[in-house]
Amino acid sequence: MDNILEVLKFINNLMAFVFDEIGKFITGLLGKGPGTELVLMILAAIGLITFGAVTMMALTWFERKIVARIQDRIGPNQAGPFGLMLPLADGVKMLTKEDITPANADRWVYLIAPIMIAAFAMTSLAVIPFAPRVAGVNLDIGAFFYIAIGSGSTIAILMAGWGSNNKYSLLGAFRTVAQLVGYEVPMLLNVLPVIMLSGSMSLFDIIAKQTDAPGGFGLPFILFLPVSALVFLISGIAEVGRSPFDLMEAESEIVAGFHVEYSGMKFALFMMGEYVNAAVVSIMFSTFFLGGFAGPIFIPPYVWFLAKAFSIFFIFMWLRGTLPRVRVDQLVNLNWKFFVPLSIINIIVVMVMSKLFVTFPAQPGLFVVSPLVYMAIMLVSGLGLLGLALTLASRSARRERLAIAQEAAEHRVANQAFATAQTGK
Amino acid sequence: MNWKTTFRKLTRIPLGFYTVLQQTLRKPVTVQYPEQTRPMVPRFRGRHHLKRYDNGLERCIGCALCAAACPADAIYVEAGENTNDARFSPGERYSQTYEINMLRCIFCGYCEDACPTNAIVLEPIEFPTGYSREAMIYTKSMLLESPPINVPATPQVTEPGKFDRSIVPFPPIDQQA
Amino acid sequence: MDSSTTPPIGAITTENAQLDVTLEQLKKLVSPRAFTGETMLLNMGPQHPSTHGVLRLLLELDGETVISCVPDIGFLHTGIEKTHEGKTYLKGVPLTDRTDYLAPMINNLAYCGAIEKLMGIEVPLRAQYIRVILAELTRMNSHLVWLGTHALDIGAMSMFLYCMREREDLLDVFELVSGARMMSSYFRPGGLWRDVPPAFFDLVKKVLDVFPARIIEYERLLKENPLWKERTIGVGVISKADALAFGMSGPSLRGSGVNYDVRKAFPYSSYDHFDFNVPLGSNGDVYDRYRCRLDEFPQSLRIIKQALDRLPEGPVMTDDRKIAPPPKHEIGTSMEALIHHFKLWTEGFSGPNADVYFAVESGKGEYGVYVHGDGGPKPRRLHFRAPSLCNLQALPRMAKGALIADLVGIVGSIDIVLGEVDR
Repeated sequence: MDNILEVLKFINNLMAFVFDEIGKFITGLLGKGPGTELVLMILAAIGLITFGAVTMMALTWFERKIVARIQDRIGPNQAGPFGLMLPLADGVKMLTKEDITPANADRWVYLIAPIMIAAFAMTSLAVIPFAPRVAGVNLDIGAFFYIAIGSGSTIAILMAGWGSNNKYSLLGAFRTVAQLVGYEVPMLLNVLPVIMLSGSMSLFDIIAKQTDAPGGFGLPFILFLPVSALVFLISGIAEVGRSPFDLMEAESEIVAGFHVEYSGMKFALFMMGEYVNAAVVSIMFSTFFLGGFAGPIFIPPYVWFLAKAFSIFFIFMWLRGTLPRVRVDQLVNLNWKFFVPLSIINIIVVMVMSKLFVTFPAQPGLFVVSPLVYMAIMLVSGLGLLGLALTLASRSARRERLAIAQEAAEHRVANQAFATAQTGK
Repeated sequence: MNWKTTFRKLTRIPLGFYTVLQQTLRKPVTVQYPEQTRPMVPRFRGRHHLKRYDNGLERCIGCALCAAACPADAIYVEAGENTNDARFSPGERYSQTYEINMLRCIFCGYCEDACPTNAIVLEPIEFPTGYSREAMIYTKSMLLESPPINVPATPQVTEPGKFDRSIVPFPPIDQQA
Repeated sequence: MDSSTTPPIGAITTENAQLDVTLEQLKKLVSPRAFTGETMLLNMGPQHPSTHGVLRLLLELDGETVISCVPDIGFLHTGIEKTHEGKTYLKGVPLTDRTDYLAPMINNLAYCGAIEKLMGIEVPLRAQYIRVILAELTRMNSHLVWLGTHALDIGAMSMFLYCMREREDLLDVFELVSGARMMSSYFRPGGLWRDVPPAFFDLVKKVLDVFPARIIEYERLLKENPLWKERTIGVGVISKADALAFGMSGPSLRGSGVNYDVRKAFPYSSYDHFDFNVPLGSNGDVYDRYRCRLDEFPQSLRIIKQALDRLPEGPVMTDDRKIAPPPKHEIGTSMEALIHHFKLWTEGFSGPNADVYFAVESGKGEYGVYVHGDGGPKPRRLHFRAPSLCNLQALPRMAKGALIADLVGIVGSIDIVLGEVDR
């Protein structure tokens, strides 16, 4: 029994072990010093970028396959077994395509934009906790770092839209400003309750709080913060510009939006930025609300990590296969008139609840309850808040619809005489 | 607005999601085209073929009714005279030149309808493809089907009087499905 | 509004016809603000994913709001009407396939109906019923393509694939009866090309079995979907009066609440033998037009079911040998058959010196064929009253004040086919 447990523990810590050994080997080779640190950092960066590129390739394949199955198709199946080599074929195709810079484009802005978007996406990989003790860098302000770096892609997309000297790109850039800048607010506001509950901005601490570790709740935060989880997921989708919020590149409206003029490898960089960003959002969701890599011991943490992230990405694809695109005014309305107020009220509710009820006697609070009861209280208050908000929203929507119907009815009456004269009925 | 309506409204979107997920369990309708092909119906209007009788003589008598009926003016027919030493078809005349411009052809099947001897038939096989405009003008040798086994090809040497007149009534090609 | 008393097309006199368009006139199409750079002029199309072919829209945009929208048509002009003047009445059928290429059988029906009206011949009942079945299948085909592309424009990608999947079943039926999946040319003046094969009934029954469940799926995905409703309700509103004034027809007109359906108003091809309802909208917005079209699916299925149940036996082609080519087996034995055969396929039959107008309800609206015969075997002038063209006229009115995202929805909702608009 103990042996099995030992083996399981070894497997679980395999990643950390391997990286430790590599670190020791390099240090042994070069000796301790700032130069060694630099070499290790560069190695870690290369590893992370490789992870990003491989993720992008895996996700493109995964998405094509899943969306194809949703649409009763087979999807890629020609390049290699199950079409697994398709991302590679895509890469070769992108590299061999003609590299076009449009006439009168703002050359430098146009050239830098795809590099920037890929760079920002890759940078946000730095803080991701892959497994215990495994991350590019264990920042104390990991959550803050992610939010800050995540807004960088906004400026890159804006640059791409402006620099292309194309009206469709420009429209894409308009929409980018409305969408990405707006949705950062609810995203941030819904990370706050997580930080309030865990008492730390470090992503490892946030995960530890959701495990059985000392001081942890032993339950994922999604059960404590349903409203935050929902709003974070939706605004996360909007933040990475995926369907149904893919307004900035809506192909049926503004052709391809901000990247309409990009071809070849520049286009591939945009795609990479988009997919890595989507992957990071799913990973961050699983970190904040699903306990990240933590899980029962019999499955290694890196497998948990991938499984949770891919499940969230599957939801993204599912949404893409189901929903129509929202309109830009609806998108902005949804953000500022629904998500932001809801998030602020949610923060207040979480604040009050976390001061009323605590799980440890050492903390300042009125009632000391067990984590399970605490969870139940939070869940009920969260769901109640959500129900209330939805009722209010649907009421106002109904009022709007009634107004439209009223207007149409007036229209009908006004035209009755005319129509009668026309049809003779 | 009571809770029931709100609830019913909330269930609308999940219903759509469920419908979409349901599709993943269905067998895909995709046909792996170059490897698999869909069966074509007997009436399919594909590539033209010029038919022969069982004795190897051509059915086409060079009347050019197909060319007259063609809405796209894609057919060109030039008739020649049969002799007993070089007989192509029963009767007096045969088609010396028979060309179809496959780029003009709209595959409407009017030539098939107009042909009095059922000589030209649009069959559910082979799609005309080519690399140049010249290659898309199909000549008689390309259109004419090969004679039955152990039967000489045209021109044949026939005994006088046997095929001086065309075969009446014109036998049908196949049961028109 | 009896169609036989419709006045002939008025001659255009050169005095009042403005042949040259000046730059000043063109400038009036957009507001003066466009020339100061205050608003943006945007060319949407002719190569744009959601202009349904080669429609070009000149948009004047204030941000994303459409200030004015000028449709520019003619990119797919193929001169079909002019070509008809050089073709005999019989040879015109394949040309009609190519106007509204999503509903070839309905075009065939309109054209053949016009020729039959001109020649004054009666089509056998069996042929009429089979025409009704195939016309309704064609309507479903047309609506499926519309539904798929309309949903794709608004962003529901899966719908497009589902619709194309269902369309396969219908195209299989067309292939079975006519030998071609799209350019069928199956209806001929006087009846049908050939009788339907026995496998036809199984295939149509399969369609009847499969479709009701599929329609429920579409409704689940779109009808009550809040996002879809948000995108369509109250968008692109056109009033009853405006819709009539623009000459709109079909579901686009019925979405505004005008109960006009050629199948009910002027029944043709024994449509009056069948029970069916005409779905009506009330608000005249994109959603109502969508509802009108989607509700026509069950009605089409109803008509097909009735026609299949009551399908009479008998010939499918008129026995008037002046018009219908004789059966092949008679050619070798009957002198008259031989003469008729050669005469019909070369010279064709001569029509009277008369004008006729014959309209059918296509998937898009009232599809009319106006034939001006001159006594010879070819029409002196032939005109298609294309519903897509008339419906497109209302687009600038509907698009005013909408967003770009709404505009693609509106273009989708009037269901235009550029092959029919430009002819």
